[in-house]
Amino acid sequence: MVKKDIDASSVLLTPDYAEFIPAMERRRMSQVQKMSIACAMDCLHQSTIAQPDAIIVGTSMGCSINIKNFLDKILEANDGPLSPTSFIVSTHNTVAGQIALLMKNHGYNMTYTQNSLSFEQSLGDAMLCCAEGLKNVLVGGADEEEDSLYNMRERLKNDEVLLTSGASFFILSNIRPQGNAINLIDVGSFGLIKNTLETTLNFLKANNTTDLEIDMVLYAMSEKSKLNELTSFFGAERLFDYQTVTGTYYTNSAFAMNYAVDILSNRPHPIFGEVKTVLVYNNLIPENLGLILLRTKNE
Amino acid sequence: MKVFVTGIGVISAVGLNARENLHSLRSLRTGIHKSAQYKVMTGEVPLNNEQLLQIHDLPDEDYSRTTLLALPAAKEAWGSNKNDSRIRTGLISSTSVGGMDRTEKYYFQSQVNKTSDNYSLMIHDNGRTTEKLAEELGISGHISTISTACSSGANSIMQGARLIEGNILDRVIAGGSEPLATFDIKGFNSLNIYDSEICKPFDEKRMGLNLGEGAAFVVLENEQSISITGNKPLCILCGWSNATDAFHQTASSPDGKGAYLAMKNALAKAGISPDKINYINAHGTGTGNNDLSESMALKNIFGEALPSFSSTKGFTGHTLAAAGAIEAVYCTLSLVSQATLPNLNFSNPMSETGMMPETQFRPAKIDYVLSNSFGFGGNCTCLIFYKY
Repeated sequence: MVKKDIDASSVLLTPDYAEFIPAMERRRMSQVQKMSIACAMDCLHQSTIAQPDAIIVGTSMGCSINIKNFLDKILEANDGPLSPTSFIVSTHNTVAGQIALLMKNHGYNMTYTQNSLSFEQSLGDAMLCCAEGLKNVLVGGADEEEDSLYNMRERLKNDEVLLTSGASFFILSNIRPQGNAINLIDVGSFGLIKNTLETTLNFLKANNTTDLEIDMVLYAMSEKSKLNELTSFFGAERLFDYQTVTGTYYTNSAFAMNYAVDILSNRPHPIFGEVKTVLVYNNLIPENLGLILLRTKNE
Repeated sequence: MKVFVTGIGVISAVGLNARENLHSLRSLRTGIHKSAQYKVMTGEVPLNNEQLLQIHDLPDEDYSRTTLLALPAAKEAWGSNKNDSRIRTGLISSTSVGGMDRTEKYYFQSQVNKTSDNYSLMIHDNGRTTEKLAEELGISGHISTISTACSSGANSIMQGARLIEGNILDRVIAGGSEPLATFDIKGFNSLNIYDSEICKPFDEKRMGLNLGEGAAFVVLENEQSISITGNKPLCILCGWSNATDAFHQTASSPDGKGAYLAMKNALAKAGISPDKINYINAHGTGTGNNDLSESMALKNIFGEALPSFSSTKGFTGHTLAAAGAIEAVYCTLSLVSQATLPNLNFSNPMSETGMMPETQFRPAKIDYVLSNSFGFGGNCTCLIFYKY
């Protein structure tokens, strides 16, 4: 539930990582690794799945702190001997690989890194995996805040965004489960496009959904001048800026999907009322658009 | 649904295009030399950034070498293809370190000069290197970047095939690009797996890998797309699979379980038995661990009837995220030229396996070619190509 908007004094809410990650492994992990693995493990604990058939992670900057650490070590070593510790956990697929390693999972393992669309592309692949016949897919998005990322603001055309960290993971299943589950209708990832609204309408049309059926639009938009267009189309009352809750990181649409699932699972929602269909509208980078369409199971 | 390979493009230490690469493979010419810049044996592309900018008529902006290497390969593969609203087209690229060549340059400068010039990590954004490529090719919409370390290039091509088979796209240009960077050279050195001489894949006395740089792309199309473009298929991508070794963050398991699963599932996807494979382009980095683990996996798949196999890393060096893509192009060249590709610097078989790689560019009847790519995180990918 929304208590207050995020601000500069906000801190990352972290669980007791000891519950999720063995001490030996935990000690050497950076924030993005710990956040992601804790989420992934929590996700699996909540389900009854012992092993997912695939693990897919979206991360824009990957293990940027490990990369920075290794660059620092190179400078310090001055051509002398170097420890490989940071290097071996510097690749973008470190998180997806470590989840598999901790679980001894031999399935499909993939990592997407398309800045603000990294999560949508992971989710798209997860849907494709389900269409191909895999039963359960673990999919998530994660990024960590790091000092030198502040110039991201230039790309976002917004000097005021508050950079944060976050991770969200999900289980996608192609078997209709008992109990709480939400339908992921479709996901779209559109890079370097000009007309975001037209693209959105085409996406909805392809999914036999009219804009009137969208009860709520969870949106992120850095270029505030474009907000008028969205407001005049959907109406202000259907819009909610999820960055007021998450702050900004490139895979925060994964949080928005988590939030959408919460809203759709608690009907009527205490704040938003009766919500059956949610569109996550990720226009974080002005020329990139991510769309996620979710609906309650029984509609 | 069939996935046709209709275009290939490659730039590596042994050639600036597919024709030059094929010529080097035929004439057993390595591209690995002592690097003036890095002081170790590397497979460097013999063009500097200024020359690459000039070739592509680009402004002298902050293009990472990742993008600059990707451009010639992608343009060669793309050829005379045009955008067409009837053909749903996507671009998938892969890189392991994004714009690391620039990142480390700026980072080292800012640390030494105590300035806070952090423009670097903007360029480091992997996705940006692909967007720059998309801008040059005029592609918008489906623009994607995959980063699974040394299997990235193969994964990018696999995703292209899956998106076509899943009827999401009709045509995909897929591949990968990787520049040399101090970061990786120091990294592999710190793991004590960097050979100070030219690497010797599958040899008993192999000492490790040499890093290389380059890029490669393939154009994949379905029949509908071909009916519009009129492109002539070079071969068919008929099998693919990705599996996880789940043994260690960087080392491969003794029995190569991930590699075994990737090959087994790719063969199942292609619907063929192992004896149909005529040539294997192995991952074969030249490290003690990889080559033994991969050999065990090969033995477990093929038994005593091991087809002709080789690693082409002795030509190009290990080009990380580009490797799987470069080797996919080499597999296409093997099918088109009906020849097996050579493994350089091999003298003594490994005592554990006694396996003898192909050491010649040898004319042969080639129907099916299998390509392996493995990466950190236990990421294992196998692609299978069929002659057209």
